Amino acid sequence: MTEFSGLVGDFRAKVHRRARYVDQSKCTACGACAEKCPTRVPNEFNFGLDERKAIYKDYAQGIPSVYTIDPNHCRVFQGKKCGVCAKVCQAKAIDYEQKDYDVDLNVAAVIVATGYELFDATQIPEYGYGKLPNVISSLEMERLLSAGGPTSGHLKRPSTIRGEARLKELPKLIAKAEKDENQDGLAQLKQEQEWLEDHVHRFHLAKKLGFIQCVGSRDFRFHKYCSSYCCMHSIKEAIIAREHEPETESYIFYMDLRTVGKGFEEYKVRGAEVSGLRYIRGRVAEITQDKDLNPVVRYEDTERRTVQSLTLDMVILANACSAPRNIPQVARLLGVALDENNFVKTHPNRPLDTSVPGIFTCGCAQGPLDIPESVAQASSAAARAAEVVMTGGRALAV
Amino acid sequence: MASNEVLIIGGGIAGMQAALDLGDMGIKVHLVEKNPSIGGKMAQLDKTFPTNDCTI
Repeated sequence: MTEFSGLVGDFRAKVHRRARYVDQSKCTACGACAEKCPTRVPNEFNFGLDERKAIYKDYAQGIPSVYTIDPNHCRVFQGKKCGVCAKVCQAKAIDYEQKDYDVDLNVAAVIVATGYELFDATQIPEYGYGKLPNVISSLEMERLLSAGGPTSGHLKRPSTIRGEARLKELPKLIAKAEKDENQDGLAQLKQEQEWLEDHVHRFHLAKKLGFIQCVGSRDFRFHKYCSSYCCMHSIKEAIIAREHEPETESYIFYMDLRTVGKGFEEYKVRGAEVSGLRYIRGRVAEITQDKDLNPVVRYEDTERRTVQSLTLDMVILANACSAPRNIPQVARLLGVALDENNFVKTHPNRPLDTSVPGIFTCGCAQGPLDIPESVAQASSAAARAAEVVMTGGRALAV
Repeated sequence: MASNEVLIIGGGIAGMQAALDLGDMGIKVHLVEKNPSIGGKMAQLDKTFPTNDCTI
């Protein structure tokens, strides 16, 4: 959205619509274009754990069911010769000439459902996120567990996934070094190959997992608030991991387990009784790694009053729910106020009303929520917006 | 002239649910999403608590 003005019942907005370079009315989402596209790009949807093509869909079931060209990587947009996708497309849907355009809207009400962003755990250097390969975020874990994810649901360690990709590359590099008679380079590459082959063979699946709660939440350095859904989220991931692989052992490091919600406490208890999860009360001080890239967690067990360390296969961080980085621009455009955490400001008695009459909010845009609560709020926000449409905004004036 | 349409910014679970509800009431909705597909963070989740239902 680039422009916004007006009052309740009669807002004007200009929305910038980006080109897909694929004709939406013709594309049948058969996927022939992506199959033949020569350009491979790290797949953001799976946090770079696999690759996608320059013409792609975020995920197989994605709606609208249309492919999109990423102009930052597509060879045609980089001024190189290609056009393979246009050649193989039977529906003739590829259109490199498609342009962005603006849409002018006139609406009675607006709902801000801009969601959240995962807390960037590199801000906590002692947890090693981004440096230690087998320390991952809660959403990366979701992709690893997903049958439609980069590993088809096998809980492979990122060091193994990257190691396998590198092993595929290495024979080419070794052949090149042999041709160039680069003895030092060759010895180095061979050593790397040997180490990786051994590593990938010995550490295929992650079976001993550590979940670290409150990463960036309830932390005076970052967010003082509780992100609310992460306790249940980690328990769920541990239960699903155990369903995939019955030998999985999971340790959940927590301050308090806040399982508030319908059926949530029972779920936590079932996690311990049926799925063998171990809940350890204590903050993790530091994560390091041993020579096999296993994360080593150093923590205080506050129930036993001891400081301990535990070697695990993989550590999953329960990243806090942060306000999206670009939300101040959106808020400025709409004229709505934000609270001290950059969530959309609401009133306790009118939890979906923003500071501007006729603009409502729901979901994580207004603060951390789980899915059932987001859905409930969304239905309420829809009812509030419908009120404005049906009364021309008079309902809010009272 | 007052409008009888609604603009929703964000096509995640909250935006989609609000859009569906308004649509069911017969109100025209414009759902704005920055990514190629709607679904937001929820589409990246595998299963949801507390029933372990699939999200997609």
